[in-house]
Amino acid sequence: MMLATDALRLSMHNILLHKVRSILTSLGIIFGVGSVIAMLAVSEGAKRAALGQIEAMGIDKIIVYSQKPPPNSVDSQTSRSIQYAESYGLTQADYHNLMKMDNIARITILRNVRKNVLKGLDRLDVKLVAVTPSFLRDSGSQIEMGRWLSVPDMINKQPVCVIGTEARRKLFELGQTDIVGSMLKVDTETYRIVGILNNDMGTQYPELGTPGNMIFIPLTLSDALFGSFTINKESAVPVVTQIDYDVFIISVAKLEYIDNTANRVTQYFRTSHSKVKDWDLIIPLDLLKQREATQNIFTIVMSSIAGISLIVGGIGIMNIMLASVYERRKEIGTRRALGAQKGDILFQFLIETVFLTSMGGILGILLGVGISKVITFYANMPTYYSPISIIAALLISSFVGVLFGTYPAWKAAQQNPIDVLRSN
Amino acid sequence: MENRDKIVSLEHIFKTYYAGGNPVPVLKDVNLSVGRGEFLGILGTSGSGKSTMLNILGMLDVPTSGIYQLEEVQVDLLTDSELATIRNRKIGFIFQGFNLFPHLTIEQNVEIPMLYGRVDRATRRQRAHELIERVGLGHRFGHRPNQLSGGECQRVAIARALSNYPAFLLADEPTGNLDEKTGLEIMKLFHELNDSGVTIIMVTHNPDLDEHFDQIVHLRDGRIVHQEYRKK
Repeated sequence: MMLATDALRLSMHNILLHKVRSILTSLGIIFGVGSVIAMLAVSEGAKRAALGQIEAMGIDKIIVYSQKPPPNSVDSQTSRSIQYAESYGLTQADYHNLMKMDNIARITILRNVRKNVLKGLDRLDVKLVAVTPSFLRDSGSQIEMGRWLSVPDMINKQPVCVIGTEARRKLFELGQTDIVGSMLKVDTETYRIVGILNNDMGTQYPELGTPGNMIFIPLTLSDALFGSFTINKESAVPVVTQIDYDVFIISVAKLEYIDNTANRVTQYFRTSHSKVKDWDLIIPLDLLKQREATQNIFTIVMSSIAGISLIVGGIGIMNIMLASVYERRKEIGTRRALGAQKGDILFQFLIETVFLTSMGGILGILLGVGISKVITFYANMPTYYSPISIIAALLISSFVGVLFGTYPAWKAAQQNPIDVLRSN
Repeated sequence: MENRDKIVSLEHIFKTYYAGGNPVPVLKDVNLSVGRGEFLGILGTSGSGKSTMLNILGMLDVPTSGIYQLEEVQVDLLTDSELATIRNRKIGFIFQGFNLFPHLTIEQNVEIPMLYGRVDRATRRQRAHELIERVGLGHRFGHRPNQLSGGECQRVAIARALSNYPAFLLADEPTGNLDEKTGLEIMKLFHELNDSGVTIIMVTHNPDLDEHFDQIVHLRDGRIVHQEYRKK
């Protein structure tokens, strides 16, 4: 339709005629759209990072872990808790009972051996952890160098270890190449390093932290060397702590029944550990859903705030368009005299407003992308802009044009051609 | 005289405005008719009611009472939308200030009424070209109004007014913004058009133009005080 082309050409002409005014007019839209885009990019980036971390624990996993019970909740009469000896957490019996449940494919066991890892005299923030071989796959880690703990290592209780990349950085000098094959002494025992493990997904285990910060030894070796007791010699009265296992990574066979399985696991622990709550449970899939839900709320709130600036921008545009209608009465009158219907005039002014806001929208998108790049660069926050948010921004800015352009356009159409022709 | 093919007739036209509740009569019992191919001049000083006359003839305004008939159509019965359609099809407006659109080329300006008349693109193009040639601006294709002289602008405006084959041209002081020589050239163009059968109604305050018209109406204080027909 040529009327549309005429209207567009006219819009372009008017915008170029008043360049500064057009830009000032669109500023509200530009900043509104810019902030929407930047806001969405930042929140989407944060969401993806958080979700990535949760996902790294594995969405088909249920993670159960030992938790030190609150001090006063323990009845001193019970055998499991005496002042100088404490006993809590996941037990061998728990492991066997869980293994009997349906839909549990396997359980990876982690046990914090609770030995100090030293470099010279400095104690390092590195944990010696005894694991079963399925840990590698269940934690989403990879072997960077050498090999992982094998089943024969397990059966034969081999004194070998695999170290995480962070642990390696703390224990060895940068650029040292002969790490795999060398011997590592932790506390009283010496282990041969057979491999280096890398976890780039940012997996975090409750109470234990990230696999990168761990030294892994076969669980059977740990049982043989240390049993399940640890003695804390650093307190005034030595405290003996007995914990069988620290973390179970439970893999379910069928993901669709994970909720059901998690309920049964929870129920099991509630009954069998009824005296004190010395355990807790994480279902990454649930966390994922919760996180997504909160993130969506955050996005909605942020978008609403950004929406306000769009409304303000829209009102600014409406204001200018009303002024423009007054300024251009002669043109409107001429068009009416030449046979333009009210609808034609309405359409023309509406197109012009939409054109203006859409231009503002495009500039706003560029601004928003720029802002999020700056945020990524200086604040080191991940940002992500989806094509949908950009398309949405364009649609919204056009919609603002329609919303706030209708009244001025209607006003233009209502102009009495006599008055306007007289005004020349 | 009475067997003219009348295309415009005004019968007992009154127009009263209200200023602060008080009626201000502007036109008082105006009777007038225009035959096909005639060149009518409406002369009057400012305040004589000629602007109102122009608005009513141009269907930008409707009379308070009386009958305005254009060809077969009685105007006072029409809706706003129908009036716009009639303006588009039947009336070719020419303004004192040309009222061209500066963002468009002269061809595009000429196309505007056809645009509102929903004429197809090819026809618009062709007709705009023919009309620009006809008003003697064939060498100005592609130019914009600000690249033209006043006389040339008025020629473009005349071409625009002709674009939908109107029943008559309605010119409001068309030489008012032009110097005398250019004004005469424009009047010459009007005569050429009139000779080829175009009906023209011209509203002016300039008594010097008197000699150009076939029929003259003098307005004073809202009434026709003098009316004269001449042989072509």
